[in-house]
Amino acid sequence: MTSTAQELHPAPTLEPGRTILELNGLEKRYPGTHALKPVQLAFKAGEIHAIVGENGAGKSTLIKLLTGVMPRTSGEVVWEGKPAALATPHEAMALGINAVHQEVVLCRHLTVAANMFLGEEESRFGLLQQRAMVKEAQKIIDGLGFDLPAHVVLGDLTIGQQQLIAAARATVRGTKFLIFDEPTAYLTRKEADQLFKLIRRLKGEGVTIIYISHRMEEVFELADRVSVLRDGTLVGTRNIAETNDAELVKMMINRSIEQIYHKEHFTPGAMIVETKNLSGKGFENVSMTVRAGEIVGLYGLIGAGRSEFVTTLYGRHRKSAGQILWEGKEVQVNSEHDAIRLGMALAPESRRDQGLCLNLPVGMNLNLPIYKRISSNLLISGAKEKAEADRQIAGLRIKTPTRNALASSLSGGNQQKIVIGKWLAHGAKLFIFDEPTVGVDVGTKAEIYRLFSALLSKGAGIILISSYLPEVYELADTLHVFRRGKLVATHGFRTADHEEILTQALAEKQEKQGGQT
Amino acid sequence: MSTEAIAVEKPKRNYNALFGLTLLALLVLLWVILSLATTSFASANNISNLLRQGSMIAILAVGQTFVIITGGIDLSVGAVVGFTTVIAAMLINAGLPVFLAILITLLVGVAIGLFHGFGIVKMGLPPFIITLATLTSLRGIGLLMTNGNSISINNDAFQEFSRNSFVGVPNLFWMVILVGIPAYVFLHHSRWGRYLFSVGSNAEASRLSGVNVQRTIYMAYTLSGLCAAFVGVLLASRIGIGNPTQAEGWELQAIASSVIGGTSLFGAVGSVHGPLLGAFILATINNGANLLNVNAFWQRIITGLLIIVIVYFDGLRRRGK
Repeated sequence: MTSTAQELHPAPTLEPGRTILELNGLEKRYPGTHALKPVQLAFKAGEIHAIVGENGAGKSTLIKLLTGVMPRTSGEVVWEGKPAALATPHEAMALGINAVHQEVVLCRHLTVAANMFLGEEESRFGLLQQRAMVKEAQKIIDGLGFDLPAHVVLGDLTIGQQQLIAAARATVRGTKFLIFDEPTAYLTRKEADQLFKLIRRLKGEGVTIIYISHRMEEVFELADRVSVLRDGTLVGTRNIAETNDAELVKMMINRSIEQIYHKEHFTPGAMIVETKNLSGKGFENVSMTVRAGEIVGLYGLIGAGRSEFVTTLYGRHRKSAGQILWEGKEVQVNSEHDAIRLGMALAPESRRDQGLCLNLPVGMNLNLPIYKRISSNLLISGAKEKAEADRQIAGLRIKTPTRNALASSLSGGNQQKIVIGKWLAHGAKLFIFDEPTVGVDVGTKAEIYRLFSALLSKGAGIILISSYLPEVYELADTLHVFRRGKLVATHGFRTADHEEILTQALAEKQEKQGGQT
Repeated sequence: MSTEAIAVEKPKRNYNALFGLTLLALLVLLWVILSLATTSFASANNISNLLRQGSMIAILAVGQTFVIITGGIDLSVGAVVGFTTVIAAMLINAGLPVFLAILITLLVGVAIGLFHGFGIVKMGLPPFIITLATLTSLRGIGLLMTNGNSISINNDAFQEFSRNSFVGVPNLFWMVILVGIPAYVFLHHSRWGRYLFSVGSNAEASRLSGVNVQRTIYMAYTLSGLCAAFVGVLLASRIGIGNPTQAEGWELQAIASSVIGGTSLFGAVGSVHGPLLGAFILATINNGANLLNVNAFWQRIITGLLIIVIVYFDGLRRRGK
């Protein structure tokens, strides 16, 4: 770390076209999950290399390995001809590897300039040279063509603007290899254009770029080459000029679908829930029904309003307009409590933040919704508590030494089984599963899908939210597509093809023409 | 991420019980050492004294633990004790029957706890802030009510209670048992106890599982206020006066007892027996230090070191090293 600001342009040492970073059999295993199967890939200096793949394909694992956030299980990383351990983020940064994440990881309460120089502040006689840093930061920002002030507090900017600052920050740190992880997820079209300009400019200066995105049009707009990951395997690498949209989508989602997706069809029974023009924060005018014995799939990009819709249905957030009908009668769902009393159950999107009490035992997590039932008056029946927990652990085949083990000690797949399993004993009629198989291996996925069938056979209805198209495509009896807070299309079981649904969820072309800001 | 990287490990069976036994062993060890090192420690008189000294902090620590398990903190308990000695003294001197005076005093404690719950749940204030505010303002209200004077309690029966013993055990220690057993049943064998843990572990997950998080938080602070008011009654009985400046710093002793007893300040980890043992370990150290003629200032330093050592080793064990 130097006490003066880095030069803006790091002057990479390798001439363009030579290999800068090579992955030899790079591999990552978690307990119960093979997140990244041995990958063989070489990045050329000065190229923009896109990596595409569905959620859980191994993209984030790859980034974490390259930026030293996590250790690899096996394999070798060769940096400029020499093996690199990449054991710590510090080491990766020292080599010149940096990442700009989808979520901005900066200090929101500090100024833009302070963030730009965080950890490398200019100082004289031990005192910060604040004015000089603001000036310097403003020069860099102006130089990049961003119309942003350097003296304001970062949190006062929009998420998109913060993202641009994060990118600008990465460029002042002697970066030779810069990873962008879905940087445009929260950007407006105008901000995205500014970012693309920056990326092209960095490429012109010889910086190697990895660009991770869901959005095909961006890949074709920016990248020189593209690699496709699927289920932790590198399926292939193509020159961008020699491939097309359809080929990439096929590489991304092609799989032996029947082995995993266990689908039984039941005759839909009575109406369980119906929404009429339901609106709330993040979604508007959503009308749909769920009947007994059917799976209603909600597909869309992250942030399309699906989670907001179901959490509002579940009483976590207030609706702003519209009606909810439960078994034909209009109801007010003002709290989770109301929802649970009606017979809803929600397995939320984030295990860590919403689904589990990680530092509590497995058994307690499983019993949390039913403590009322297994208590007589005030006291909990210890025998019932144990029996219920053990029954769930055995029934769901949760791999845990005992019900007293802490939930945090289990693998992701087994944790997910707890999130789902805790509702089974509760006897709900409507199960809402929000991204139930994120970060879960294929075997556990199959078990979870079988569980769906078991629930349906007992007359329950299911709302299944997924950003993973094959999942909703193969399981949902009715498939609703969400885009930017609206329900934009509805399909029956396998009545549309993947490309059509993807297009509806992305609608890149229309948006582009709309030129939204 | 880190959780996914951890392999399925051996269960930490009955960790709570094991930790409790370790604390008990530490307490017994201290007693054995002090019995050998001093002539006066093992006397019936001194033991009674020790139990009296530890009892009030022990009861405070139990209430405090309920709050800490939810991930909060109650800094007001010392001030509540001082304030409620004034309430009790005034009510008794006003000629109210003692049981009625006690009941009203306890209700004052409940009201203070409800206010804390209101501040946290409805006003969105951090627990540290709302209870810090009560800490300072309750002392002020008490001083206003008494004009800065102590109120002597003119009821001998009330005062005798805290000096007397029942079957050889000081009444004050019986009060610990009176509080401890229901508290134990409540925390470890009722669903409300489970909810305290789940809210402390992950409030959002608890809410989505149908736990009434707001009510749980109200409950924790109300119980802490109730325990503090109960200690206020006991202290009024022990010193025979009502004085709002009494029990200065007791909140820190209660927190220390709780932490020594294995409660995690991050929430979701704690028990009833732990803080009780923690309180008596602290009382023993103070008592022993007095008998050994250790400078009273050292007692504070020793207490500080003990907190560091116990919490450090507890943390090591929990991380499974």
